[in-house]
Formats: sequence, C-alpha cells, structure tokens
Amino acid sequence: MTVLSAPSLTDVQMVVDEVWGTFLGTEEPLVPGPAGDLEVGWSAAVSITGEWRGLVSVELPGPMAAEVTRRMLGLVDGLDPTSDEDVADAVGELVNMIGGNVKSLMPGPSTLSLPVVAAGRVARPSDVVEACRLDAGWGGAPLVVSVHVHA
Amino acid sequence: MTISPPSFAFVSDLARRETAMLYDPGKEYLVEARLLPLAREAGCADVDGYVARLRTDPVEQAKALDALTINETSWFRDNAPYQAFTEVMLPAMVAARSHVRHLSIWSAACSSGQEAYSLAMLLDQHLPAGWTAQILATDVSTTMLARVDAGRYSQVEMNRGLPATSLVKYFSRAGSEWEISEDLKRMVRTQQLNLSAPFPLLPTFDIVFLRNVLIYFDLETKRDILRRMRQVVAPDGFLLLGSSETTLDLEDDWNREAHGRTQLHRPATTTLQPIALTGA
Amino acid sequence: MDALIIDDSRAMRSILRRTVTELGFETLEAGNGQEALDHLEAGRVPDLCLIDWNMPVMDGYTFITRVRANPDWRGITLMMVTTESEHGQIVRALAAGAHEYVIKPFTPDAIAEKLELLGLVAKPVPA
Ligand SMILES: C[S@@+](CC[C@H](N)C(=O)[O-])C[C@H]1O[C@@H](n2cnc3c(N)ncnc32)[C@H](O)[C@@H]1O
Repeated sequence: MTVLSAPSLTDVQMVVDEVWGTFLGTEEPLVPGPAGDLEVGWSAAVSITGEWRGLVSVELPGPMAAEVTRRMLGLVDGLDPTSDEDVADAVGELVNMIGGNVKSLMPGPSTLSLPVVAAGRVARPSDVVEACRLDAGWGGAPLVVSVHVHA
Repeated sequence: MTISPPSFAFVSDLARRETAMLYDPGKEYLVEARLLPLAREAGCADVDGYVARLRTDPVEQAKALDALTINETSWFRDNAPYQAFTEVMLPAMVAARSHVRHLSIWSAACSSGQEAYSLAMLLDQHLPAGWTAQILATDVSTTMLARVDAGRYSQVEMNRGLPATSLVKYFSRAGSEWEISEDLKRMVRTQQLNLSAPFPLLPTFDIVFLRNVLIYFDLETKRDILRRMRQVVAPDGFLLLGSSETTLDLEDDWNREAHGRTQLHRPATTTLQPIALTGA
Repeated sequence: MDALIIDDSRAMRSILRRTVTELGFETLEAGNGQEALDHLEAGRVPDLCLIDWNMPVMDGYTFITRVRANPDWRGITLMMVTTESEHGQIVRALAAGAHEYVIKPFTPDAIAEKLELLGLVAKPVPA
C-alpha cells in the first residue's frame, strides 16, 4: 500500500477553486460546505489509470449545469438557450480539467480517460469507494466533486 | 451596501499614510470588495462596521492594508525588460565587475516574487561560471514576502508568462502547486521595506527593478523615491521602471538609454548636480 | 495570423476562440488531431496551433509528432493547452516539438503572455 492513496481535500478544493475562478467568474465564488440537498441533473466522470488509479466525478443540479454551459460558451444573457449536447460538452470539459489536475496531485505517470457524461448520475464501477468528497455551493445551489479509488 | 464617505476617507488616509498608496474618490468599489471578506471574517455586519473597528485595532489595520495592496504580477512581466537584462545590463555589469565576480540586484516591491525569481532564472542561465549573485526582494507586505520565501505558485500563476522550458527546469510539483528549486531560492533574500519611508541601510545595487509600484503614488512621493534610489544604485548601474512609469522631470538625476521598447535609467554622473542653496 | 484550435470540447474551443480572436487571430477549429491534420493536408496551414492532449481519434501528442515529421510544416508554432499537468508530460510534449505549454485552467492573459513570449503577439507600445 502506498502512503499517498488519495488526494487531500485541501488540494482538491484548490483545484476546483481554480477551475471555477478562472472559467466561471470570480464575482460569484464557490462556497465550501454542503449547500442543501443535491438533486443531480448532470454528472460527469473521468478515470485515471497507471501509477495511481481512481475516478474523479462532478455532480450538479440541472440549472447549475446550464449556467456553467452558458458561461463557458460566453453566452452572457442568462436567457440564452443551451442544448443538452452543449451541456454535456461543458460538464465533460469541467470534469476533464478537474480530473487532469487531480491526476497531477498523485504519483505518476498515469493516463486520463475521456470524460463520461450523463443526464442524472453516472454509474460507477462497483469496486470503488469514495476517498475524498468536496461539497460546495454556487449561486445558492449545491454541487459535489468526489474522488473514488479502487477498494 | 456601500461604504460611507467617512469610512472611505479613513481607509484612504490609512493607506496613504502607511504605504503612500492613493485611493482616490471613485475607488470605493475597490476598497469595499477588498475589505468585505475581512469584515465577514471579523464578524462585522458590513464594511462600515469593520472600518469602525479598524480605527482602534492596529492588528486589523495591518490586515486591511495587506488586503488593499494590488499584488498583480507575472513571470517575465512585459518580457522586453528581461530581454534588456540579458542583452544589455548583464553583459555590462559582468564587464564592470570582473574584479569581484559578484552582482547585487534589488527587486523593490516584489509582490509574490515572480520578478525576483525570473531574474534568478536568467542569472542561472547567463551568469559566467564562478560568479555569484544576490537578489534582494522587498515589499511592504509581509504576506507577500512569506510567499516569496515559500516559492510556491498555483497553476494559474504558473501559466502567466513562464516559458514551459523554465517550468520543467526550475520547478517541481508540490500538491496542487509548483515549488521553485532550492538553488534559485538561495539566490533570493527577502526583507520588509516601505519605499515611501527612508530606506534602511542598504548595499549598493548593480541593477534595480522598481516596477509597477510608482503608479500608486503621488508625484512628490515618486520623486522622493527616485531621488533616494539614486543613492543606492551603483554609478555604473541600472534602474528599471514599469512600462508606464518614467523618471518624469528627474533628468538631472537619471540618464535614459533606450533598448528597443525598454527605457534603462542610469545615474547621471556627467551632468552637473544642482547647487544646494540652503545650508553650507 | 491564423490559429487552429484543436480540442474535443466545443465549450473549450469557444473560450480559446474568444481569447485569440481578441488578440487579432483568424481561427479555424478541429475536434481532434486527425481533423486538424486534414486541415493542414488540405493546405489550410496556420501560424499557430492550440492543442489539447486528450482527444478521441488522435490525441494532441500524436498530432505534434506528425506535424514535426513534415518539414513543410516547420513554420507552425505549436502550443499545448491541456489539463495534463504532470511534470513528465510537459517534458515529453516539449521533447516532441511543442513550443509552449499552457495548463488548464488558464486566464486569457496567460494565453496572451505566452504568445508574446513566442513573438506572435506584439505588446502594444505603452503611451
Ligand atoms: C503591482 S505589484 C508589482 C510587482 C512587481 N514589481 C511587478 O512589476 O510585477 C505592487 C507591489 O507593491 C507593493 N507596495 C505597495 N506600496 C508599497 C510601499 N510603500 N513600499 C513597498 N512596497 C509597496 C505591494 O505590496 C505590491 O506587492
């Protein structure tokens, strides 16, 4: 068993803050801590294989996923429509950025998979356990970033 | 929620008195945005409540001043000055200091240290074998100096102007951050120094980077700092200012040499010094 | 100046397009390395490629080795823009011929500053 089997919550928090602060606007920062019941609208995951093996996932309520998409696509007007395809793409890129940086927290080299995105929850393999979980709020709604490792 | 005029006046006086930084009317939004997190942390209902507390609490004052300073910086900021460093200043000083084989450099108002470490990288690459160099990095903010000593930078900071070849050469991963090599850290020494107050005892410097800080001061403070700088820059040394900063009407003290888009300032030794009319 | 943006995410291509358009580039896009090679082979040879690493069909690393293998494309500046941020990965990309490397997430300033370093964007002369 290696000493460093999961990233620390502080490091994961920093990674998520940077991604959020850079692409989703600093005016409305991510607030740490659970922000109520999460009704998952969209989720996405990437897996990491190699020196370190794990799964990084993001779960968001539907309206937040739409807002993330609007901001990344540069549609400033809150009323711009976003298609499911656009949302899947944006949420996928979000988990790609978080996952890539989480990979760098762990001993390498390892490979990052392409993101898997789902409306609702993504199905995780049955042999993984949660190693690190970041609850946060954005715009008053909750989201979860988690890291799972193979048991 | 907005900051009241008396509160704003108190904060801008404080900043002016302690660091010479100017927060003119119209900058209320800035002061408010920077103090709000501190107000919340201190359990105050709003920024005015926090300023009321500031009036009597020197520890909070120091924190507020730290929060108010603008620390924006990047690696090899503006690029051209660093080209001038490698192409002009360094060769000139190496030629002039062959007897001591040592260079002394000052990054005045160093913020989180990107300027000092950018210079350290260039020295590592271009200083002839057998030479040593010391970079003094100073700032009014002790929070910033602690960051220079730690030499750790976030991913977002690393992206700002640092060539990828230098990243892989001089940095290693430290959790979600990157840490600069011990060799470069050894070249840099930190010291708290307020530019608007009389300088402490300083060595003579061959090259001084005084960039993107004079813009926050009024004309008189700028002039005063540039005059005092004249005393610590070696007669054959160089002073570099930010790209929007000039020596104004201080031609008597400084000569300007252009290198591409960069203005290099050198102590004026050939021009006559104005005769002091007061005192003997 | 023309920039070819190579990323499988439309959202990321949109962010990059806005960033480099602001810096005066005309843009072209590709969703993976193979689509990007198709552009080059059809004679649409840009001054700059912004290249993601992990993409379906052909990844950015392979794309770089393919571009470097063709002397006709020597003039193209190759910049990785990727979430891959292990020290060893950056070394590999540079060894394969990438000129610069930006790690996601990035601010628009970061792209501008890297392009200045590469001499592709001139900093406006201060007044
Ligand atoms: C915008 S940064 C410039 C950093 C770096 N020189 C550059 O060009 O990127 C300005 C720095 O000046 C410092 N500063 C402000 N007032 C100062 C004073 N009176 N004495 C010394 N440093 C001061 C701030 O703390 C901040 O770190």
